[in-house]
Amino acid sequence: MSFVPGSQQRHLRACMVCSIVQVQQRFIREGCPNCETFLGLQNHPEDVQQCTSQVFEGLITLADPSSSWVARWQRLDGYVPGVYAVKVVGQLPEETVQSIEDAGGRYIPRDGTVHDDDA
Amino acid sequence: MSTGALLDQDLGSGSEDDNFNPAPAVESDNEGAGDSDPDAKPSTKSGTDRRRSRQSDPDDVKEEDDEGHKDSASVLDGSKPFRGPGLNDEDEAENLNGAGADDEDEDEEDQEEDDDEEDVVSGRPRKRTRRDPRNQYLDVEAEVDEEEDEGDEEDEEGNAEGFIADTHPDDVADLPDGAETDDRRHRELDRQRERLQQLDAEKEAERLRNLYGRSRTTTARDTVTVPKRLLLPSVNDPSIWGVKCKPGKEREVVFSVVRRAEERAQTKNPLPIFSAFERGNSIPGFVYVEARRQADVTAALDGLSNVYPRGDKTVLIPIKEMPDLFRVNKTEQLAIGAYVRIKRGKYVGDLAMIDDVEENGLGVTLRIVPRLDYGQNEDTNAPMIDGGIKGEVQKRKRHAAYGSTNPALRPPQRLFSDAEAKKKHSKHLQSLSTFDKKHWQYMGDQFVNGFLIKDFKLQALITENVNPTLEEVTRFTSGAEDGTENLDLTALATSLKTGTAKDSYLPGDMVEVFEGEQQGVCGKAVSVQGDIVTLSVTQGDLRGQTIDVPSKGLRKRFKEGDHVKVIGGSRFRDEVGMVVQIKKDQVTILSDLSMQEITVFSKDLREASDSGIAGGLGMYDIHDLVQLDPATVGCITKVDRESLRVLDQNGSVRSVVPSQISNRIERRRNAVATDRNGSEIRSDDTVREIGGEQKQGVILHIYRSYLFLHNREQTENSGISVVRATNVATVAAKGGRVAQASSGPDLNKMNPALQRNGVNGNNTMPPPKSFGRDRALGQTVTIRKGAYKGLLGIVKDTTDTEARVELHTKAKTITVGKDTLGFKDPLTGQSIDYQRFSGSRGRGDGGRGASGGATPARDPAWSSNRTPMGIPQGGRTPAWGASARTPAWSGGAGSSARTPAWQQSAMSGGRTPAWGAADGGRTVNPYTDGSRTAYGGGAMGSRTPAWNPAGAGHHDPFSGGRTPGYESSRTPAYSQTPAGSGYGDNWSSSNGTHSSNRAYDAPTPGKDVYAAPTPNGGYASTPAAAASTPKPGYAADAPTPYSGQPETPAADDGPGYDELSD
Repeated sequence: MSFVPGSQQRHLRACMVCSIVQVQQRFIREGCPNCETFLGLQNHPEDVQQCTSQVFEGLITLADPSSSWVARWQRLDGYVPGVYAVKVVGQLPEETVQSIEDAGGRYIPRDGTVHDDDA
Repeated sequence: MSTGALLDQDLGSGSEDDNFNPAPAVESDNEGAGDSDPDAKPSTKSGTDRRRSRQSDPDDVKEEDDEGHKDSASVLDGSKPFRGPGLNDEDEAENLNGAGADDEDEDEEDQEEDDDEEDVVSGRPRKRTRRDPRNQYLDVEAEVDEEEDEGDEEDEEGNAEGFIADTHPDDVADLPDGAETDDRRHRELDRQRERLQQLDAEKEAERLRNLYGRSRTTTARDTVTVPKRLLLPSVNDPSIWGVKCKPGKEREVVFSVVRRAEERAQTKNPLPIFSAFERGNSIPGFVYVEARRQADVTAALDGLSNVYPRGDKTVLIPIKEMPDLFRVNKTEQLAIGAYVRIKRGKYVGDLAMIDDVEENGLGVTLRIVPRLDYGQNEDTNAPMIDGGIKGEVQKRKRHAAYGSTNPALRPPQRLFSDAEAKKKHSKHLQSLSTFDKKHWQYMGDQFVNGFLIKDFKLQALITENVNPTLEEVTRFTSGAEDGTENLDLTALATSLKTGTAKDSYLPGDMVEVFEGEQQGVCGKAVSVQGDIVTLSVTQGDLRGQTIDVPSKGLRKRFKEGDHVKVIGGSRFRDEVGMVVQIKKDQVTILSDLSMQEITVFSKDLREASDSGIAGGLGMYDIHDLVQLDPATVGCITKVDRESLRVLDQNGSVRSVVPSQISNRIERRRNAVATDRNGSEIRSDDTVREIGGEQKQGVILHIYRSYLFLHNREQTENSGISVVRATNVATVAAKGGRVAQASSGPDLNKMNPALQRNGVNGNNTMPPPKSFGRDRALGQTVTIRKGAYKGLLGIVKDTTDTEARVELHTKAKTITVGKDTLGFKDPLTGQSIDYQRFSGSRGRGDGGRGASGGATPARDPAWSSNRTPMGIPQGGRTPAWGASARTPAWSGGAGSSARTPAWQQSAMSGGRTPAWGAADGGRTVNPYTDGSRTAYGGGAMGSRTPAWNPAGAGHHDPFSGGRTPGYESSRTPAYSQTPAGSGYGDNWSSSNGTHSSNRAYDAPTPGKDVYAAPTPNGGYASTPAAAASTPKPGYAADAPTPYSGQPETPAADDGPGYDELSD
């Protein structure tokens, strides 16, 4: 499950696409539960390094992504329940961004660089 | 689902392949295993295994198409009429796609494929897992049908190939080389036919898949395109509550919530919240819970540690503010050349310059000034285990240990020196560049130009509020090629700009816009609000208009020849000079003071209104005390045109420029030090150095234990010298302060026990204070001690302890202690000391009154004016003498002169009656002289007679008047038990049996006595009342202390007294 004991919390990483927060080992073992289709992190430690970040702020634990406003606002609805970050610092490699776009998605950086239609 | 089933079927072939590739068995996923087969096969056979690029579903699928072909193509050695010569997948893919809508995708894909083909070796497992995610979704996707076909096809291929590989090895061995190839070609032909038939279907499928695939992914990320303003919360959304928690523990709390939610998830009562979150970095001390009801919040958090949902601190976040909770501030992008600090390790706190930034912005390569000891602190005798390898490890460990744990011991920052390194560690040193000697590898680290070049993770760095000091920054520049300290101002600007941007612009500044749309516009700043500068344009098309520009896009505009002053955070602050060159925003000025050229940012300059050498020099004056560095101060001895000469606390003289002075230390008038004798010295005292150069002078400044003296007769350093306070002795204290050289500081003042001002006070009562004019003034005195012993003089002026005495013999006024003076007793003419003299005041009055004739001239004045006063005075006298002061004095001071004096006078009999006479006599004064006479008579005798006349009633006419006066002044003292006993004690004070209690009770009667005048004022109207009140008290109390004393009859007289007043 999403719970991470304190001793493991320094290994936490956040996915730069969906901002889910997991320990690094879990990213490697299971991949990103939301973005695996295009990130394909499972068993690829180097991709985990590239597409997830240790620098993130603001933890959100999401129990009910479908009806939570927080999830909607953070564009997390449709994702699996779990722990997410509000801000993830780091930049995805260009090609990864491209592949997300190819997958029909729009990559929105979560590092605070985008303030589009915020108001 | 059909897919799954089909793929499951494929497992058959997969299991066949297990021999060749055990890896798939690891895959728990059926589909994965099925999927892996085709890949596994070619790899085992032909080694044409290729990686798949990281692609999303549709592309992946498409790619798989290609790969399917490719696999076969490679198997068939490229003889593919349809696909054209070579392995040009791109063409083929486009052919297949037909629509051409996905050109970019294709390009991308191809690039990746190309990339992938390069790393053939590592590719395989990656490819396999690549597919897994897609396959997870296969069962729900219609697109899979299409792919499934292909999968089938591939599998068929695989099987076919597998046939070759598995079932025909013997045949293969038997056959000639060409045989197998021929066979493949046959099959390929078949397949081509098949494919041709399928072409239309494939095209169609591709189209569908694209459509479908797209729609699938877009459904997943539908919300992405919804603008945020449509996502704003409404009343229908759950509310958010903010709950107090322990600051710093926000994450822990969130994870506690996670755990609780997971524990309860499968139970009957799952956690009734939607989400919980924290913004510990921006809003510490709060966690937020999204729920419908506050009760849910409490339920969710209750009992968790570090969070306090029970208090009234739980606040509902207004809907409008909810989005603000998720506001994210952009992290400052790390730029090459910017400065950061290192958070931990050997270089903790050190400034580092960014040399390179990783693509994802999470890692940087830093340039650090190394801290190396080159093995100086190594224990060379340490045992080398295993040929030095383990010893090496040990060394490293220890090195790291002391480097990180004890920053005090770490080596200083110094640029890398290969010469140093060669001394002990030549085996760890390796030159990485052949043509110059600037690139080294040493102990596993790289050094370029003397700097350590090392990779760091973002979280190990402090990137905000770095505030590099110029000192630190110059370290990075000192290694410049020409050896000059030439600052890279541009790099520095990136780090400093934010810090100094504020209030560097003032209305009136000429500014120029160098960034943004208005670039090139010049104008005069009209107003500055925060970061926005409003300027009125003075040149160009916009002339006369007023525009707002953010200050970061502005720079100040100067002309060559302008006279400017440096204001900003540069080390040239306060320099004044003339602009000689302007290059972008860097301005070179010729300093007026040093006549040197300095280069600063234009934002750090301001037109200098003050001309000449205003600089910092105007701020300092000779004799000022200035701070040179945190540990050094100095006294200005000379102000030159451009520099100052300063005598520092260590006695050395140096020349400094104003910019080297951190600040001026205000002169502290009340600074105190102690000289070697322990007496206190202050500014303006004259002291002399004992030993040494015997310097003497007036104290200008006291700084810690250093004294800066000024002596007009000294020429060097403009008469200023510095001495230690412990080496001087006071010569003269300013303002006649007592130089208590012998007695040292007044320890009583420092004793907190004595300072405690007695509420229940056990402390000694101060000796009687005489108020008003000191009686010693104007007195003719003899000096009884010291150099002037025996001389006669007149007291001209006094302080508490000293008197200025004008000698009769010499025309000289000297200062002597009051206690060395001998006063003439006005009564007896004998010489008494000051204490007795001043202490006899009240009694003296009485005595004078009693003596009657002595001061006849005064009597009328007293009788007319001071009578009302006389009573309180008289009242005070008994209070003072009888109960309070004397015993207290004797009790506290032990063997003070007072008590005996008092006793003496009491025993002589003159005092008490006189005292009585003072009361009575003066009180009755207005009525008759006779009463005083009577008192005077009484004064000569014992007390009783003094009473008797009062009680005897032969002053009948006065009895009404006198009695209340008598009572009012004295009775309180009598009527109150302690006073009474105090009074009694007073008489027996020679026994020394006073308890401090009694002494302290005394003021009460004294107070009462002071209150006395009031009844006294109305004494005539209520004589009876006044008289009757004291009666019982008097009767009851008086006998006890007076028993056995001559006064006892006085107690007996009480009734008579009563009768009289009645």
